[in-house]
Amino acid sequence: MPNSASSAMQAEQAAKAQTQEKNRSYEAFKAVFAYAKPHRLTFIGIFFCALLGISADLLQPYLVKIAIDDHLAGGKTDFGFIAIIAGVYLGISIVSFIFTYLQNNLLQYAGQSIVARIRNDLFEHISKLSMSYFDKVHRGSLVTNVSSDTETISQFFTQVLLSLIRDGMTLILIIVFMFRLDPALAWYCLIALPVIGLVAFLFRRYLREAYQVTRSRLSRLIGFVAENLSGMGLIQAFRQEEEQTRRFNENNQSYWQGMMREVRANVLFNRTFDILGNVALVLVVWLGGMAVFHNQIEVGVLYAFTSYIRQFFQPINQITMQWNTFQSTIVSMDRIWKIFSTKPAVKEPEQASRRNLQLDTVQGKVDFNDISFGYSLSKPVIPHLDLHLASGEMVGIVGTTGAGKSTLISLLNRFYDVNNGSIEIDGTDIRDIPQHQLHRLVGLIQQEPYLFSGSVLDNVRLFQSDISREKVVDACRFVGAHDMIMRMPKGYDTPLYERGSGLSAGERQLISFARIMVFKPKILILDEATANLDSQTEQLVQNALQTVSRGRTTLVIAHRLSTVMHADRILVMKNGRAVEEGTHQELLKMHGYYEQLYNHARAEC
Amino acid sequence: MKSFELLTAYLKKNWPLYLTAVILIIASNGVQALLPQVLGKVTDGLKEGSLGQQGIIRYSLMLLTIAVSYGVLFGLGQFTIMRLGRRFEFLTRGKIFAQFSRLSEDYFSKQGTGKLLSYVMNDVTSVREAISFGMTQTTNAVFMVISCIVMMLITGIPASLMLVSICPLALIPFLVTYFGPRIRARSMAVQENLASMTESADEQIGGIRVTKTFAIEETARQRFGSTVENVRGAQLHLVRLSSLFQALLPFLGALSLAVSLIVGGYMTLQHRMTLGSFVALTFYLRMLTGPLQQIGNVINMMQRSGASLDRVNRLLAEVPSVRDRKSAVPLRSAGSIVFDHLSFSYPGSTDKALDDISFSIPEGHTVGLIGRTGSGKTTLAKLLLRIYEPPEGTITIGGQDITKLTLETLRRKIGYVPQDGFLFSTDIADNISFSDRSADMGQIRFAAEQALLLESVNSFPEGFETKLGERGVTLSGGQRQRASLARGLMKKPEFLILDDSMSAVDALTESGILGNLVKDRRGKTTLIIAHRISSVQHANEIIVLDEGRIVQRGTHEQLMQHPEGMYASLYRIQQEGLQHA
Repeated sequence: MPNSASSAMQAEQAAKAQTQEKNRSYEAFKAVFAYAKPHRLTFIGIFFCALLGISADLLQPYLVKIAIDDHLAGGKTDFGFIAIIAGVYLGISIVSFIFTYLQNNLLQYAGQSIVARIRNDLFEHISKLSMSYFDKVHRGSLVTNVSSDTETISQFFTQVLLSLIRDGMTLILIIVFMFRLDPALAWYCLIALPVIGLVAFLFRRYLREAYQVTRSRLSRLIGFVAENLSGMGLIQAFRQEEEQTRRFNENNQSYWQGMMREVRANVLFNRTFDILGNVALVLVVWLGGMAVFHNQIEVGVLYAFTSYIRQFFQPINQITMQWNTFQSTIVSMDRIWKIFSTKPAVKEPEQASRRNLQLDTVQGKVDFNDISFGYSLSKPVIPHLDLHLASGEMVGIVGTTGAGKSTLISLLNRFYDVNNGSIEIDGTDIRDIPQHQLHRLVGLIQQEPYLFSGSVLDNVRLFQSDISREKVVDACRFVGAHDMIMRMPKGYDTPLYERGSGLSAGERQLISFARIMVFKPKILILDEATANLDSQTEQLVQNALQTVSRGRTTLVIAHRLSTVMHADRILVMKNGRAVEEGTHQELLKMHGYYEQLYNHARAEC
Repeated sequence: MKSFELLTAYLKKNWPLYLTAVILIIASNGVQALLPQVLGKVTDGLKEGSLGQQGIIRYSLMLLTIAVSYGVLFGLGQFTIMRLGRRFEFLTRGKIFAQFSRLSEDYFSKQGTGKLLSYVMNDVTSVREAISFGMTQTTNAVFMVISCIVMMLITGIPASLMLVSICPLALIPFLVTYFGPRIRARSMAVQENLASMTESADEQIGGIRVTKTFAIEETARQRFGSTVENVRGAQLHLVRLSSLFQALLPFLGALSLAVSLIVGGYMTLQHRMTLGSFVALTFYLRMLTGPLQQIGNVINMMQRSGASLDRVNRLLAEVPSVRDRKSAVPLRSAGSIVFDHLSFSYPGSTDKALDDISFSIPEGHTVGLIGRTGSGKTTLAKLLLRIYEPPEGTITIGGQDITKLTLETLRRKIGYVPQDGFLFSTDIADNISFSDRSADMGQIRFAAEQALLLESVNSFPEGFETKLGERGVTLSGGQRQRASLARGLMKKPEFLILDDSMSAVDALTESGILGNLVKDRRGKTTLIIAHRISSVQHANEIIVLDEGRIVQRGTHEQLMQHPEGMYASLYRIQQEGLQHA
């Protein structure tokens, strides 16, 4: 029986997971409502606005009924009363008009304010997470969380909530009115309610599935076209136009079929709903007519019922329509909540052990004291390393891909914490330095410099408007980027973008060197900063490198030996361990691994 | 009018179906307009006591028939029209894609992918909406209004009463056409702001490493926060207008009811009409609101889709700038290639991308073409493939002027390996066998082996069936280039062009591939374009290009004998780092 036992256990686990899931949804929901709390009063206002807003629609049949029963049917000729009823109705309509307008604006105001706060808080939270999080989680999915998921929540407040308040109340009030008019007839009408609700619900679910299928087929179609447009030159050069058109039509066909399924379901649903509504009307006319015939109710009551039963369907339809949005809202809330509940892996120092370092008095001595590190404990990337950098020293680190060079940077920047040993700056463990200070202290230049969309000026000073233009220009002169920038159409005010700003890799690198000159970190890490450069700018970058590293403790990580040859000391890494150490000449004399790498590189040219 | 050609052709072809659908919709409107009249009759009958139990049941059954037949008739009509619309969309997309595959690169470079995609998605959809929703709604609205008015007259509602009651409703189409475009503009602004917020989130998250290392998280938050604020502002700006519009529509309905109540009530009291007619009137007024709103919507939609239709038509009418001439002849055999005083400027530019180029690639030889970025190397390859049209008589292949050949035979005989290593997001085998998708695995494997890709492929769990791209594996730059090379080699072309296609491959691998090429392409014509000396130094002849002109030519040894020449100076720059030692 071990089999059934294990399956029982699995079932139990699944159930547990499910309750956990539910709990999380509940937590997420509670959190979002916490955001709505400051807007309590607005929501109460919205509720009353909605109540007044639907009054005209609701009271119209009732008023007409009064007119019919008390006057028109009775054959009285008191025109004054009719005029009063018409006047009352007009008055209510104006009130409705004003409060519907108010209600929509208030709701949007509250909803948008809530979502704006969620967005800001979410972004702030994300920006506080450790680098390890960004290595694991895809950039695209985070962007989706910040923009689309929050937009869904916004829809929840502006559409779902609106519909719940307005349509829900309409429905309830119609039922109340019906019961006031004639309870027997009202009970008959209520029978229709679950039937309509069920039909609507089932159709909506089917439609949702059909919709998701077509959505994914559509995005496949778009993807196909986008890709083929980019590769069109290739398609033509290989004479594959026909084959690709055939494949396009396959995608097109599958989208069309999905779409037709959706259209069929839509038409069927809407018309069924129409027919159901009218069938309910028929019922009212039949039962109500009989009641009038037996003198149980008056003609006006029948009129009011026929009107109400026609108004009955719209709100039900609306509410079921919101059901889908509601479901996606829950999914979105869950996803956002998952981010909010992620804590940064790298912790700020406790108050007690916290050590503040003054940026201008730091010497820049760096010690890696017998450290070891691995992203998972079983597979150490760096089994053991002991490295000490004197203040102002330039140390080069070479080795093939996967030798653990880049991991060192992540450790010094505290993107990750070491498993054993410690890293110290001027004798202070970096885990005791507030991260903000640590990051100001340690500058990093990456292989692919990142540009923000903004002017050259702002890209160098990273949008810190308290840094003067002169300071930026000086920095650019210093690293030799000034001439290049002045050649751009608007000089320092030329707008740049993350991609396609028309700058070569070398030019972008010069801008990131200028950043260093502006922010003046005491310790500098260059991560493959001279890879991928074209022959023209390489010389400029090499010179800039010499300039920025002056007076700074510098760690140069390189693939190309030419970058590190001038370093005070070179560390050769292999499989996470330092295998050789010394100056370029010393290392060559050893006839070891470094010489191998060097000869290998020489053969390249 | 020519701009409606696409649409009219489709309508002409499918007119019987359209006619059927329109008749169905008209019939359904006629049926539905009976409903308030029947309700009015029931009211009158009950009030006067003339209606017996049998009568009530009869009327109920009548109402049921009306309800069901309206639903069925309208549903069928609506479905037919929607299906036709979707079919049109489907066919037009196919046409657009086929047209894309015919157009030349100069067209694409002018338009940008985003704009081209919007032809396939937005424009086609907008035209489809016009012919499906537009058609259904126009027919529906027009005939609903007509049948309501006719029925009101038949029911015995005085024309004067009808006129004053409908007056406020008549404003609806004008309101819709007034508010429609304005609301649309504001909602576009919301979309744009949302897009720039998404962009900002993407940019800030992409640059998180920089933000963190310079400890400027606060600035990042402020920059993102301002885009969030813009979205909020745009949303509130939109709702001010849209909610006014949404509240106005029912208000007008209420206004017309109030009018009917006062005038109709008066007339009923005066016995100028029956209570039943009064009841019917209130129902008719409710029924009219919808169609009148639809008329406004259709007007707005027509304006938008008119522009879309125009764009699609213009795209389909576009003539590719490179195409077969009427007298085009097939290329017999590649043979040797001769450039004879070739000069070329890109369309719309006055600068010469190539200036008086003359050289030849004898059959079976390998020629290297070297120069800096922008020196015209790639342009030369594009002209050879007629991706751009070269001036007549400047390039001959096997003795034939390439402008007089059919594109089919010319491109079939030339293998081209572009620099960017563009791959499609299908599997690796499909990418390599791009020139002939029915090729067997042996050939694919051999090509991969030649391009030294086999080892990488074998390292993937699914081997050649590994999917590439977003939903699959992302290859490194070097792997991409090697896959692209395998694709070119797979074709076993008589003439092979390698356009800087090993720039991301490391030196050791490059020399391995070159070794394979020398073996495999012995006796076949090859043009190697590169900016690295190592790629071309073994060639029979090396042409050095600079700013579109030939500045030097010769073998590696010959060129190295001129230390002041460009070739030797490139060589020095590339050796630079190591010479320092």
